[in-house]
Amino acid sequence: MEAGRPLFIPVILGTSRMGRLSLHAARLVVGELGKCGGVETDLIDIARLPLPTNDAGEAIKEADFSAKMSKADALVLVSPEYNHGYSGLLKHVLDSCLKEYIHKAVGIVGVSAGPFGGTRVIENLLPVMREIGLVTIFWDVNFSSVQKVFAEDGRLLDESYIRRVDKFLKELIWMAKTLRQGRELISLG
Amino acid sequence: MAVVANADKLICSHCKVEMNHHCDKIVYNVDAHDAGRTDPNLGGIIEEFHTCPKCGGGASRHA
Repeated sequence: MEAGRPLFIPVILGTSRMGRLSLHAARLVVGELGKCGGVETDLIDIARLPLPTNDAGEAIKEADFSAKMSKADALVLVSPEYNHGYSGLLKHVLDSCLKEYIHKAVGIVGVSAGPFGGTRVIENLLPVMREIGLVTIFWDVNFSSVQKVFAEDGRLLDESYIRRVDKFLKELIWMAKTLRQGRELISLG
Repeated sequence: MAVVANADKLICSHCKVEMNHHCDKIVYNVDAHDAGRTDPNLGGIIEEFHTCPKCGGGASRHA
């Protein structure tokens, strides 16, 4: 394994809804990741990906998104909870790749206007993550009553989230390093 | 990303080193073109996943 190669951990914002407060959560995570030594990050907004809707799966793979998923060592998914589930567009985007995800870590950030902080959308995403080859960590971040967590301009109002995100990212980075080692050096039986 | 060097190893086209075969995954969504490759015991195609130990680049191929 080449020493010094930084980890690449992009953050995927999983909604295209107008006025989405998940954007503030995603920007917070990107900011905290940016403070981690040896880590590069990027915010991937699914609303900006030019994926067609008249087909699905790897047939509609988008070159830039595919390249970022290939380069990634881990992912953060930031997903609001809509009717207990994730957005259809997020699934459409995730399904456009497969080999790019194999044996890479993923952490999920749930966002909701209610008290449960996206716990149900996180539970719904777990089997999807498993099937596409991603390895979930056991830390989540739950933004409950998100309209009270951020000001309208995106400023964080509840500083307790810094520590929660920090614990989440520490686990994700450990898993990213471990799985990189595995992908690059440990052969299948 | 990679070219086949021999029956077993993929070589990273960027670094020219052997890639590490770290995963097999069964893929079920086969089209007519791939039908002949389907493993009758598993019901799908086995896809191999390989990663370069130097640059971290990935590649895959049917087993």
